[in-house]
Amino acid sequence: MNLDAARLARGAGRLALAYAAALVLFGAFVVTKGANPIQMYGDMWRSTVLNGTSIGQVLVKASPLILAGLAVAVPAKAGLVNVGGEGQVIMGAVAAGGVALALDGTLPGGVMVVVMMLAAATAGGLWAGLAAVLRLTVRVNEAITTLLLNYVAIDLLLYLIYQPWKDKFGSGQPATRALAVAARLPLIGTSKVHAGFVIAVVATAVIFALLRWTSWGFRLRVVGGNAEAARRAGLPVSALLISAMVVGGALAGLGGMVHFAGAEFKLRPGMTLNFGYIAFLAAWLARHDPLKVAGAAVLLALIAIGGDSLQLDSGLPAAAVNVLMGLVLVAVMGRGQTTRRSPKVAGIPAVAS
Amino acid sequence: MSLLTEEVAAPTIEGEPLLAVRDLTVRFGEVVANDSVNFEVRAGEVHALLGENGAGKSTLMKLIYGVNKPDSGELHFGGSPVRIDSPAAARRLGIGMVFQDLRLVPALTVAENVALALPLKGIRLDRAGLVRRIEEAADHFGLACDPSALVRHLSIGERQRVEILKVLMAGAKLVILDEPTSVLAPQEVDALFAGLRQLRARGLSVVIITHKLHEARAIADRVSVLRGGKMVLVAADPTAHDDRSLIEAMVGRTVPALPATRPSPRAAATPALELHGVSANGDGGHLALQDVDLVIASGELVGVAGVSGNGQRELYEVALGLRELAGGRVVVAGTDLSGGGPRAAIEAGGVGIPEDPVADAVVPGLSVAEHMALADLKSVRRGFGIDWAKVRSRLAGLDEQTGLRMAGAGRKVADLSGGNIQRVILTRALGSDARLVVAAYPSRGLDVATTRRTQELLLERRAAGAGVLVISEDVDELLELSDRILVLHAGRVAGIVRPGEADRYDIGELMLQGAK
Ligand SMILES: Nc1ncnc2c1ncn2[C@@H]1O[C@H](COP(=O)(O)OP(=O)(O)OP(=O)(O)O)[C@@H](O)[C@H]1O
Ligand SMILES: [Mg+2]
Repeated sequence: MNLDAARLARGAGRLALAYAAALVLFGAFVVTKGANPIQMYGDMWRSTVLNGTSIGQVLVKASPLILAGLAVAVPAKAGLVNVGGEGQVIMGAVAAGGVALALDGTLPGGVMVVVMMLAAATAGGLWAGLAAVLRLTVRVNEAITTLLLNYVAIDLLLYLIYQPWKDKFGSGQPATRALAVAARLPLIGTSKVHAGFVIAVVATAVIFALLRWTSWGFRLRVVGGNAEAARRAGLPVSALLISAMVVGGALAGLGGMVHFAGAEFKLRPGMTLNFGYIAFLAAWLARHDPLKVAGAAVLLALIAIGGDSLQLDSGLPAAAVNVLMGLVLVAVMGRGQTTRRSPKVAGIPAVAS
Repeated sequence: MSLLTEEVAAPTIEGEPLLAVRDLTVRFGEVVANDSVNFEVRAGEVHALLGENGAGKSTLMKLIYGVNKPDSGELHFGGSPVRIDSPAAARRLGIGMVFQDLRLVPALTVAENVALALPLKGIRLDRAGLVRRIEEAADHFGLACDPSALVRHLSIGERQRVEILKVLMAGAKLVILDEPTSVLAPQEVDALFAGLRQLRARGLSVVIITHKLHEARAIADRVSVLRGGKMVLVAADPTAHDDRSLIEAMVGRTVPALPATRPSPRAAATPALELHGVSANGDGGHLALQDVDLVIASGELVGVAGVSGNGQRELYEVALGLRELAGGRVVVAGTDLSGGGPRAAIEAGGVGIPEDPVADAVVPGLSVAEHMALADLKSVRRGFGIDWAKVRSRLAGLDEQTGLRMAGAGRKVADLSGGNIQRVILTRALGSDARLVVAAYPSRGLDVATTRRTQELLLERRAAGAGVLVISEDVDELLELSDRILVLHAGRVAGIVRPGEADRYDIGELMLQGAK
């Protein structure tokens, strides 16, 4: 129908305009810092898209971001706000690291990878599930609890690497012993990209299918759209909310494992690089559509890697890249609606979707 | 006491119309909701707008109020062309509107909601002054309400009163009321109309949408009728048309009356619903339902009358396991619900038609087919997924069986007109072979023909052996349908009467004063 085509084209046009606006604004910001924006964007482009090694870096960075982004998107379908990706990523990494330390050398590498994945998913799932249970029992908002649990997770990580799990033979910054080479995620072919990217892609496809085609996905949408209608239809609302949060947390936990066993190999302070928060942006940019979340995660990874060139080539502070990410988010989220929406649903509390 | 005064229409005022709509067209995708519509309202008149569900009445009103944008056409207000591109612009011109689906903020009090609509003087909210003004206005317009009550604790009828009051207090010159009477009791309608007459006497104009012809007759100076987006009757004198011709204008055909004889039901031995000494708290924490005893036999239709806010909502929820009991027992078709919640009621064979479908049954973003699947997920499961082909074929069957002409399977329910949303809910509930049907205001927002069809369906359920509980403020409807009528007053059973033994005035008396 050409009406729909026109609407799609209008939507795409607005999206492009939003990205362009963000780039122009950031360009202006860069000018005030005394750098040449055209040259800067040129450097960013050359150092990422046109550079094979950098593309690899982007995909490596995108892998945990995709998983942590899905961890926001799944609960959002049920109307829940999961700000706790960071903590769930850390718990996943801690669980993987703990398993690696405890079982080091007792299992073949492949089995070890699987065990680490299971442990990480469980840890992340429980960490997020806790927030859902608190919401249902003592009625604290999950946005608050997931955020606070991030700090608890960071403290737990620090405690472990400064005390019981510290590598006694390491020098400098405290960290755990490095993961055995056999237990690391293998690289894909001859590239510098590890198998974690495959895990992220598969997870995206699985989540897409679950949300789209299963009765679970359908019921999550009902709960997220109107929880009262769900209750009246006899749906187990509490169980659905918990399941959404647990699945989300498990994905983020898996993200932590992928980062640990694919890129870091040691638990160390600050290892998660704010993945949880960047992924939160990615999920909101993509309006919680799994495929778009993956796309947005790759885009933000690209900006982050490109940001390194800001520092090297344009002499801007490293944090400047956060300004760019923020501008993209505001511009994309702030672009107008493309469909004429009926205000009929205005009485119903807006949900994250 | 008269419930509906058939008043002689006030002398019509000649001259320049206050509002004139010329050749207005609005499209939603493929749907032409308004098709070159002409419409006008004079100063000091009450103008009734009639039409079937989905005829485009709300669309036209939202256009005047700046919610919808016209694709083409002109608006004139006070003699000069205007562009109204937001509700704020409409309010500045002196146009106020009460929507069909209410727009109050549930978490705020009545006074705070009114304050939102008033132009604020200064920064501080003068609560005491505001409360006084609300009480005065409530008195003045005959719309009782408690300014300090939280809106989320109010019943739908009470909310309606607050909405109307809010618009009147904001000082509109033209007041648009989109189906304001759909859940008001006869006395409340009388009071509302008395208020509207006062407005008219002061030179204000009112546009009122209603599906009840006797109301249009009682209050309107002129009527207009929309059908399929087109004006088929423009600014006609209501006294010059009888009900038959108005219905024909609306529907394009005549609607037969309900049959007077009832087939004897195929009744089962177990009652469909038993309430034994049931008490329950309202949302506000007060005891909203006290010691209610009621047994509905299989094959019996019991009506519930009462001014809204007297425990109807709690009764509805208690019967379907949606509200915790403060005391007593609820048994649906032989199964004690005791703490089993909505699931237990559904499994025992209970279905409901909620009083506020938009809040309690409509899921934004979901289609008609998806809403159907929701009602009966178990039987349409296929592996981990849902058998959408089966949902659609079942839906077609239901639509055929109920004859309610529901909107297409792929339409988003939240985009439908008020009456068409109701049709989806009705088809879902009345097409099932439930043992117990609990219906709150089942014909809310329905046009004449669909109201009749809905009543027939309720009787069909009764004939098939279901127990039916119908909550309504339309006493005439209850008298026509019910085997017995229970009147609620202040959460207690004020009386149970049989239609042959009492008339609408007796019932109205019980509704207002309770048992003597
Ligand atoms: N926002 C919207 N998006 C798509 N279609 C819409 C929208 N609003 C209204 N429509 C369609 O326009 C038509 C007219 O709707 P409208 O709400 O004006 O009907 P109505 O006369 O008020 O009916 P009712 O008596 O049921 O309230 C319907 O077919 C409806 O589905
Ligand atoms: Mg309407």
